[in-house]
Amino acid sequence: MSGSAGHGRGHLPTGRVAAACLFLFAIAYGLIGARIDYAFASDPLGPRVFPVALAIALAVFALLFARRPEGAEDLPRGALLGRTLAIPALAVSAVLLMEPLGFPIAIFVLTTGVARVFGAGWPRAVLGGALHAALWWSVFVAALEVYLPTGTVFG
Amino acid sequence: MSFDYLWEGFSVALSAQNLLIGLIGCFLGTMIGALPAIGPINGIALLLPIAYTMGLPPESTMILLAAIYCGAEYGGRISSILLNVPGDAGAVMTALDGYPMARQGRAGEALMLSGLASFTGGMIGATGLALFAPVLAGLATGFGPAEYFVLMVFAFATLGSMMGARPVKTLIGCVLGLMLATVGLDATSGAYRFTFGEPELGDGIEFVVLVIGLFSISEALILLEKQAAGTEIIRGLGRMTARLSDIRRSIGTALRSSGIGFVVGVLPGTGASVSSAIAYMTEKRISDREGSFGKGDPRGLVAPEAANNATSCGAFVPMLTLGVPGSGTTAVMLGALMLYNIQPGPTLMTDRPEIVGGLIASLFIGNILLLALNLPLVRIFARVLTVPNWVLVPGILVLSIVGVYSTHASAFSVLLMLGIGMAGWLLRKTGFDMAPIILGFVLGRVMEVNLRNALAISGGDIGILFDSTISIVLWIAAALVAVLPLILGRRLKRATAPDTAAPDATVTRAADGRVA
Repeated sequence: MSGSAGHGRGHLPTGRVAAACLFLFAIAYGLIGARIDYAFASDPLGPRVFPVALAIALAVFALLFARRPEGAEDLPRGALLGRTLAIPALAVSAVLLMEPLGFPIAIFVLTTGVARVFGAGWPRAVLGGALHAALWWSVFVAALEVYLPTGTVFG
Repeated sequence: MSFDYLWEGFSVALSAQNLLIGLIGCFLGTMIGALPAIGPINGIALLLPIAYTMGLPPESTMILLAAIYCGAEYGGRISSILLNVPGDAGAVMTALDGYPMARQGRAGEALMLSGLASFTGGMIGATGLALFAPVLAGLATGFGPAEYFVLMVFAFATLGSMMGARPVKTLIGCVLGLMLATVGLDATSGAYRFTFGEPELGDGIEFVVLVIGLFSISEALILLEKQAAGTEIIRGLGRMTARLSDIRRSIGTALRSSGIGFVVGVLPGTGASVSSAIAYMTEKRISDREGSFGKGDPRGLVAPEAANNATSCGAFVPMLTLGVPGSGTTAVMLGALMLYNIQPGPTLMTDRPEIVGGLIASLFIGNILLLALNLPLVRIFARVLTVPNWVLVPGILVLSIVGVYSTHASAFSVLLMLGIGMAGWLLRKTGFDMAPIILGFVLGRVMEVNLRNALAISGGDIGILFDSTISIVLWIAAALVAVLPLILGRRLKRATAPDTAAPDATVTRAADGRVA
């Protein structure tokens, strides 16, 4: 951890940006909370007051955080950012592939891709992906009888 | 005081199925704890949905999770000692003397001694839990909605003041957790809140989705950034027995630190990182006449290890008796109970003695199993450190996706979990801890419901929150713990500044996955 607020030359002041985002989030949450539509509430508070109070609390804490935004690290940049974002992208692909192509193929794609992102060469990544798919399929479907999709294309 | 619940608990925990579950949990927990950066909370988050999907009864699930929790507290010391990389926050202080011992060729001794210290802490903590849980549960029967609301204010105040040097961030985390808990149908008014017309959010954000997103997905992203730097792994373990002279010198340390660990664990919101630091500093002040702490003194190893294991037991006291978690990990376990529609609180001990008693009994049994596993198998557990990231992280991601998908059979839940994971990663990069978010989330609905019930009883008069002795005591306690850092902060900083700076808790693996 850098321990800095992330405001070196050419860097975004990560801590202050986070504080600003939290402040804006508090406002948005508070505005939506204040508009909660309800016909009946059996208590004096109703469903709006608690969310609005939370929004106010978050806004105040965000301002306090903005004054002393220590402990923030710089976000990764360049190739490392690409590799970092590849992980959720691969996970989303696996989720979208799971129902049409089935769990084993989706998991093979995910694990092979993530192994590559973590520096494994193609042969290791592909072998690792195949072993992961086989292992988890046997554990969850064969041994634990957990429902996982077999895929509409092949199933 | 009746201990009937405990005898019933032993009969539950000693059944063949639960003994096997406990043994598996202890083994998995130790492996999870040994992996750098995969602490008890991540392990429990990953395995909870699988335990739930397998259809285990709640007492078995709690025994499994408790075994993983204690096992991870044992295992956390392995990477601290051999790599100078703590398995989790509770093991940070262990590295201060454990790693120097290992560098002196005494890694095996350090592992054995810390195993014995963990056992002492765990057994004293479990005894404290068995003794004090019924007392606190008895006191808590006098709690009404107003007292519960103030108790939760106290829990957040404790968390804000005790967790780390940045209480504002901790409080922001709590508020974010509370906000996430407001999503879904409001049971009192029937209004949908923050669902944006999405029917799958009608029941709110599922606990499993949140906890796996925040801990597992964000961890995978953090691991990628951390694998570049290098740390020397100690491969030669040396003699695998602790010296009798070290054991003799450390007995007082282990007993004192276990006591400190248990008391800190009982305070809602604090955790092993706080207790191990306090135990270490206390021991340094009492015992370090030669100035050997930080240079491989066995007592500097024993103090945090005994404390963090006692803390893990102490943290169950408020969770089981008040429904307020004592740590981030018990917050996850509280969520696990809620998955079974069980609301922990003062009546849990009488309503479901098999759960409370079974869990406490399993802590005693688990500690014995852990000692029996750890002494002969420590070399095998140490091998876990060599699992490359390109094998480990895909496994974490598969378990995360399967964990969520198997509970809901819904792609939306998995995508929501991934979105929460990304948000968690951004928050972690900004220096936020995830545990307060979980604490806010699990307490959110209960806190709001109790506040609204209290005001409904009083006809909207806010004075009800200050009406009883319990409430007043809790308000005063909350105010005290809120200002405690101002009083103690400078003294603690002075005590820790020059030679107890925590080692960099980073996971450092080479690109090919080897711990380099």
